[in-house]
Amino acid sequence: MFPITEQHIDFVVRDLDANGIKTPDLQQNLLDHICILAERDLAEGDDFYGYYRLVISSFYKEELAEIEAETRFLLRHRRPWLLLSRAQFLCGLFVILVGPFIAFGLLWLIRMGRLPLQVWGGTLIFMQFPFLVWLVIALTPERYDPLLPKGSKVLLGWRPFISIL
Amino acid sequence: MVYSSELIKGTLKTIVLKLLADNKKMYGYEITQRVREVSGDRIHITEGALYPTLHALEADKLVTTEVEYIGKRMRKYYSLSPAGKAATRERVKELSAFMQTMALLLDIQPKTV
Repeated sequence: MFPITEQHIDFVVRDLDANGIKTPDLQQNLLDHICILAERDLAEGDDFYGYYRLVISSFYKEELAEIEAETRFLLRHRRPWLLLSRAQFLCGLFVILVGPFIAFGLLWLIRMGRLPLQVWGGTLIFMQFPFLVWLVIALTPERYDPLLPKGSKVLLGWRPFISIL
Repeated sequence: MVYSSELIKGTLKTIVLKLLADNKKMYGYEITQRVREVSGDRIHITEGALYPTLHALEADKLVTTEVEYIGKRMRKYYSLSPAGKAATRERVKELSAFMQTMALLLDIQPKTV
């Protein structure tokens, strides 16, 4: 079995880092993989560095950084709860915007025993805002955005939120 | 015949989860070799596809990890979490139904053994 030295390991880690593999865990996974392949394929005295160049090029299509980019992409898009249906989005918006008014109204009612017209009025007027947002979403033709599937999803993020506002 | 990476891409998570369900704990290289062995060398999982997938599964808490040090290098073993076991059952069921639908769609006669 080919003996992997600390120099080999340092070289591989440095090269992975220099070629765009920055996530430490990913570096360690690739390092172990390369070491296992070298231990399997090389005999004592063989050229580790030449073998490394050959093997590492089989890990990617164009450049090594693709693996880092793919990892980051999968990590960024892994949470399905970031994708909300229209109904979920509007419910969330309603709770965030009108919820405090309703809570305030209820607390007032509990403490004072009656609710002044201004508080009711304020809550009712503010409730119109989520409905206006709903109106905008409902009247936007789905074909307008080819990336959104039918039965539409709203990506909860700053860009769509700002564009809706 | 080795299947194209485009065909495998959509099923990679399911393949990895099922292997972990059957083999308790595995590390990256072991997974690639096991897939080759079981598929009769027709499915080659590239390192560039496997490790991002393993990281995503770990971030989703579908797998748990255990680390073993071999001198200066680190070997990461992956095993299924309880959520991963449930996800595996779901995904295998879904993929199986999908394959049946594809067989109907492409009018493929299932082979009788």
